[in-house]
Amino acid sequence: MSTGEDVLFWVLAPLMVLAALGLLFARKAVHAAVCVVFVMISLAVMYIAQDAPFLGVVQIVVYTGAVMMLFLFVLMLVGVDASDSLVETIRGQRWIGVLLGLGLGAVLGGVVAQATFPPAVGLASPDEENPVTLARVLFGDYVFAMEVVGVLLVTAAVAALVLTHRRSLEPRVGQKETADAKVAALPSGGRLTPLPAPGVYARNNAMDTPALDASGRPIPESVSRILRIRGQERSATAILAAEHEVLADHEPTRHRDRRDDDAHPDRVTRTTDEEA
Amino acid sequence: MTTFFAPTVDWAYLAPLVVVLGAGVVGVLVEAFVPASARRATQLALALVALVAAIVLVGTLWTDVTDQGYVDVLGGALRLTVTTLGIQAVVLVLALVAVLVVADRSADGLDAFAPTAAAVPGSPYEELARRKGLVQTEVFPLTMFAVGGMMIFGATIDLLTMFVALEVLSLPLYVLTASARRRRLLSQEAALKYFLLGAFASALFLFGTALLYGATGSVNLEAIAEALAQGGAGGPTAGMTGMVVVAVLLLLAGVLFKVGAVPFHVWTPDVYQGAPTPVTGFMAACTKAAAFGALVQVALYVGTGLQAGAPDTFRALEVALCVVAVASMVVGTVVALPQTDIKRVLGYSAIAHTGFVLVAVLGLLGRPTPEAGVDALGAVVFYVLAYGLATIGAFAVVTLVRESDGARDGVVLGEATQIRQWSGLGRRSPWLAGLFALFLLSMAGIPLTAGFIAKFGAFRAGVDGGFAWLAVVGVLASAVAVFFYVRIVVIMFFADAPADDDAAPRPDGDALVPDVPVRAVRPRAPVLVALVLCALGVIGLGVFPAPVLNLLG
Amino acid sequence: MELTHYVVLSCILFAIGATTVLLRRNAIIVFMGVELMLNAANLAFVTFARMHGDPHGQVIAFFVMTVAAAEVVVGLAIIVAIFRTRRTASVDDANLLKN
Repeated sequence: MSTGEDVLFWVLAPLMVLAALGLLFARKAVHAAVCVVFVMISLAVMYIAQDAPFLGVVQIVVYTGAVMMLFLFVLMLVGVDASDSLVETIRGQRWIGVLLGLGLGAVLGGVVAQATFPPAVGLASPDEENPVTLARVLFGDYVFAMEVVGVLLVTAAVAALVLTHRRSLEPRVGQKETADAKVAALPSGGRLTPLPAPGVYARNNAMDTPALDASGRPIPESVSRILRIRGQERSATAILAAEHEVLADHEPTRHRDRRDDDAHPDRVTRTTDEEA
Repeated sequence: MTTFFAPTVDWAYLAPLVVVLGAGVVGVLVEAFVPASARRATQLALALVALVAAIVLVGTLWTDVTDQGYVDVLGGALRLTVTTLGIQAVVLVLALVAVLVVADRSADGLDAFAPTAAAVPGSPYEELARRKGLVQTEVFPLTMFAVGGMMIFGATIDLLTMFVALEVLSLPLYVLTASARRRRLLSQEAALKYFLLGAFASALFLFGTALLYGATGSVNLEAIAEALAQGGAGGPTAGMTGMVVVAVLLLLAGVLFKVGAVPFHVWTPDVYQGAPTPVTGFMAACTKAAAFGALVQVALYVGTGLQAGAPDTFRALEVALCVVAVASMVVGTVVALPQTDIKRVLGYSAIAHTGFVLVAVLGLLGRPTPEAGVDALGAVVFYVLAYGLATIGAFAVVTLVRESDGARDGVVLGEATQIRQWSGLGRRSPWLAGLFALFLLSMAGIPLTAGFIAKFGAFRAGVDGGFAWLAVVGVLASAVAVFFYVRIVVIMFFADAPADDDAAPRPDGDALVPDVPVRAVRPRAPVLVALVLCALGVIGLGVFPAPVLNLLG
Repeated sequence: MELTHYVVLSCILFAIGATTVLLRRNAIIVFMGVELMLNAANLAFVTFARMHGDPHGQVIAFFVMTVAAAEVVVGLAIIVAIFRTRRTASVDDANLLKN
């Protein structure tokens, strides 16, 4: 192992451990995911340094690029603000978990550090590229496992569809269908246009006052149905009469009352300015 | 650059596996291309035909394998011996019966699976799907993939293939667990729990494999055994005994999780309760059979290697397995006693049975040479077969006992899983209760049932391997287990049906609810055939075990 | 002998991953812990492959990556199904049993 690799290891390894601890202690799931991405990219660098360039590239493309991005997608989709517990995986105290983890780390690390390994042979071969070597093993010794992994991937695809794919069960109602339905409902009293808005007067634009149509009649549909049912609709006549009074107060000479008693009781005539 | 020579493939020995996995793949194509009205019938027919064909093919291979001792396919990816072929046959037979239960629609023409597993439980979409008659027919190809994975898991000596097979058999089971028709929340939670713990166990298995690879330079169990056998001062694993021990423990942890042994049993009661009942039966029977096949392979090879190379480590391994066996038997029987839910009782009893089979595995380890352990291997295979038949039969009966809304031909609701709801069932449906009693008595190990022969064989194998004390513990645990099995039988036959005002609080915290009337649904074709097959198997193996025992050596 | 360092690093990562699985409650973070454990095993495989001069270790690591990808798909599908349910919340068992 050369000094270059030494430096690489001693720079990356502490950072990786810190990032892994970041996964363990992060509050937000997205931070944890980013920590794991860092660990995986560092692993890819280490693979390349350890005579496994193909694996390093596959680690970045498949593991970081596909798997971790899938994690991030799902996080964004469903769980980005869920930081509390959803399901108890194993019921137990936190300290038992910490102790078990520390214990496991100590046992494993200790056992490995004590072991005397044979000197490294290394895999860098001048005859063959790394992918070719791997291909020989893959299609020679492990062809059965490879085919079975194919089945595994089919299973994964089917499983994902079963659990998440919701087909639309009703015919899709788009704009065309809605418009056609409205036109078809016209003979039975449907309407094509939106409802008219409530009336706007000089001193009042509340929702409970009806608008006036071209001939001066108030339009019932311009006030909300609920207010009509409750009897909370305000009379347009009253509003206009109030306006007349205000105008009469301020300009008595200009205002002349033209109300005709024989006309429709709700009809309101406009006062015209008779003085040119 | 040397030319590459493709390996020769022995298609004859791969045929059963290819048929099963091929049926799964064709099933996925059926999903895509066959119209919805014909889909379910096609899938069911495909699954059943494939399983029957695979059983026949395994039968044709039998004499071949017995004559040759063992057959290596593709360089150890599959090693077919009498034991592994037997495990494959057991898995196929149990899967055939399980698929019949999965296909059952006795309860008002509805099966046990949600119309669409992707719907949010309780949403209008789910209701719409149900009314439109959607059926989740992907269940059948997923089951086929799981069966294929189980066939590989129990028959390989290559640890990588074992890991891949472990995942192949587990992933469909996770999905199937989440697709229950009723109590969807519980089902989804059970699936999540199963998945997370299962992935954890697979990772432990993998790291153990990595450390063994580091110690011995190979992931092939035979090569590992040879390397371990030379262990000590001069061998390849010199100076690495600690690592080897840890590696073997991690490896065993992964497999023991699948088998459901203590302390890796935490998932069993919850997953058994939450999964749709036909899937529970399938899991309980077939996964256990495959996992014991794998455990036997690992124990056999690693044990042989350690026995020759590092006797102290071997002793420690035996002690560890003894502790696991005793703990499983004790936890399985003791914690089952206060349970009120029938599926949980069957789940804890599954843990106890794992302990009993581990007695046989230890009997295998205790022999001086692997050849002397042939009867122990046969005992393991026979036990998983007997237990599997009884389990699938029991869960099939559980699918038929339902709550109803009281009217004679009224709507059938969910399963009545509380034990007290089963009281008086013997009077209302004598045949169904009789079958259930038969299966329970087989699990208890009463003579004239398959369970008795199985337990006898397992304990005798343990005694012959030098673990007489363990067999005694096993007999005591069986005696305690008989108590809770017989209690259910008594409740069914000798207690009255629960009165309307006899309300008891439900364990999941609901307020006191008056008892819902319980009704046993008339079994229709698939589940009726399954029940008959299981009953015949249990009685047949109990009264005439000789042919099967001779086949298994 | 320096290759031991890589293996010790892999053991540490494995232990941290295992602790994450045992400690954290958020299902997605637990699953990421499992992924960390699988990656640690991969590092061990690659290191041992270099040590023994045996490409089998690298091929095994390659298989593990593929298997992990498939596992992630299924796991996240289950998690999505559960999150969807929990978000629209307030569904109790009585509602489901009626059907």
